[in-house]
Amino acid sequence: MSIKHIRLLIWKEFLQLRRDRLLLPLIFIGPIMQLIMFGYVVGSDVTNIPTAIVDQDMTMTSRALADSFVNTGYFTILERPATESDVQTLMDKNRVQVALLIPPGLEADLARGEQVPVEIIVDGADSKTASVASGYAAQVFADFNQKRIEATGLVPDAPGIDARVRVLFNPTLRSVNAMIPGLVATILLISMGVVMSQAIVRERERGTLEQMFVTPITRGEYLLGKIAPYILLAIIQVSVVMVVGIFWFRVPFHGTLLVIGLGLLLFLFTVIGQSMFISMISRTRQQAQQATMFILIPTMVLSGFIFPLESMPPEIVPVTYFIPLRYALVILRTSFMKGAGLEALWPQFAAMAVFSALILGLALSRFQKRLSD
Amino acid sequence: MTDALDMAIDAKGLAHRFGSSVLAVDDVSFAVGAGEIFGLVGPDGAGKSTLIRMLSTVLRPSEGDADIFGASVLHKPAAVKRRIGYMSQRFSLYPDLTVTENLSFFASLRGVPRREIRPRSARLLEFAGLTEFANRQAQFLSGGMKQKLALAVTLIHEPDLLFLDEPTTGVDPVSRREFWRIIAGLHRRGITVFVATPYMDEAERCTHVAFMDGGRILFRDTPTGLKARVPGRLLEVCTKDQRKARALLGPYPWALSVTVLGEVVRLIVALDGPSELEIQALLSSAGVVTQCVRPVRVDMEATFAFLAEEARLDREVAS
Repeated sequence: MSIKHIRLLIWKEFLQLRRDRLLLPLIFIGPIMQLIMFGYVVGSDVTNIPTAIVDQDMTMTSRALADSFVNTGYFTILERPATESDVQTLMDKNRVQVALLIPPGLEADLARGEQVPVEIIVDGADSKTASVASGYAAQVFADFNQKRIEATGLVPDAPGIDARVRVLFNPTLRSVNAMIPGLVATILLISMGVVMSQAIVRERERGTLEQMFVTPITRGEYLLGKIAPYILLAIIQVSVVMVVGIFWFRVPFHGTLLVIGLGLLLFLFTVIGQSMFISMISRTRQQAQQATMFILIPTMVLSGFIFPLESMPPEIVPVTYFIPLRYALVILRTSFMKGAGLEALWPQFAAMAVFSALILGLALSRFQKRLSD
Repeated sequence: MTDALDMAIDAKGLAHRFGSSVLAVDDVSFAVGAGEIFGLVGPDGAGKSTLIRMLSTVLRPSEGDADIFGASVLHKPAAVKRRIGYMSQRFSLYPDLTVTENLSFFASLRGVPRREIRPRSARLLEFAGLTEFANRQAQFLSGGMKQKLALAVTLIHEPDLLFLDEPTTGVDPVSRREFWRIIAGLHRRGITVFVATPYMDEAERCTHVAFMDGGRILFRDTPTGLKARVPGRLLEVCTKDQRKARALLGPYPWALSVTVLGEVVRLIVALDGPSELEIQALLSSAGVVTQCVRPVRVDMEATFAFLAEEARLDREVAS
């Protein structure tokens, strides 16, 4: 191992990066775009659900109930049809997604202390909005009841169970708080995975790799010289994403940099190993690109980045254990939100260490074999 | 026989297999003396590149070994690498680095002392006629200039032996001539050059030539020696009806080789064969009008046409 050789390779790599008019901007603009996309679009909470109200009671109470829907900010009342049958048409036309049916005699029945059925109709075509909307609606009813009881002093006939869910660590349940820490690892995977898998294939394609190996440079020196610049880029990239996440999206940070840094470093090794392996099995840059995509999509879907692991069918769950991003997400999210340390996260760290050792070893053994042909 | 110390290359039973069955190079043994320009000619797929890559330590031989200035490519690749330069078939420099950057990058990798890099690069650029393009990115050079830059890069550490794999393929004729003038200059300085080429006129410029086909070296001699193996005279037949002339002449036992080259049919006639006038008469009686039938000096083109034909016949007899 000669430091001089490695330094020379790094210098060459940066010289090339600087000449590449597209790559460097992409490495930095890409993450910012992804941040905006995931932070504002995917990570945003469901609000302003288009709603119709069929108020057949037309009393103070019915209006108060309707208002309490609007006041949450989750529902926007767009239509006030006269009958229930109009609701179907509105939903067919995608005009509204939720309808609230207030039966005639609501105020009078409530005053008599009777139980009144108020119906919520939810358009199930968009399952995410549907489940969120019905959740919100239930919340609104519960609040409304509570207030009415307090105001009138009436005790309901069937008190039932007063279930209250208290959300820990992310009290406002802002999905962005879970999205951004996950995004740190995901962006690393996307941009570094794509760039690194191209880096070695490109040299092979150009014939410079072959030229390199009639010089005294060793394979290890070559790989280190090739990887080091990208590690540096990755560090800068991750820092940008974290700073924007914490200061712009106001994601609370309770973790320590040590845990996050160590977790990201281990994850970066798995990304490097994976990209190097792709580089080894591909002959052209197109092949490398295809192979990267082939891995990227299942990784995004099965890691728990977008879809929660808990909601996956049990047959699929074992597969997720083979996806390094899964562990990185757990480390980042729990460390960000709960400040969890190594004592809690060691299984994830161990899993990633094993993965990076395996995949780096595999890539290296391929590297020895595949260079020459 | 040359002394072992004067031996640049000594290949002993080199073989390379792709996969389990395809033999790209099949049990090749030969020696190249120091200071030679050794030309390796043969059709595409003959195994020329594979042989060069094994000799230059890029590819590990499946069988056999080769000594480069006494150092084994198998056991002492580092010692071999120090003394050789290798220029692969395709352009293998960084297209996004400038001429100077490419030179100094490979110079530093090759361990050229820092203070020597600049004067050496300047000398090589001058030598290759690239001085005015020193700050141009390699991708914006013409084909001929790219090849000259690649050659300059392989020379930066002052190797004693150069491996050039079809260095002038796809290069215009003027640049090709210039490239060979540079090689002649290297030869005068005592550098051994091992060059694979598909061009017969380039083989003519070598001090020694080997003909490779089907993974084997079939002949190895000086150009003069090879030409002397042709047991006949070379005639050029000028006619518009080249294919018919070839079909007519081919079956005669005294017609050792009949090929069409550009505008003319080239015919090697055995020493006891008919004269030019007799051949002209023979063709015109069959309705082929000829403008001329004239003797020319046997060149490499004709020599290889003849030797390849003979090798093919030998193989057919053998199988």
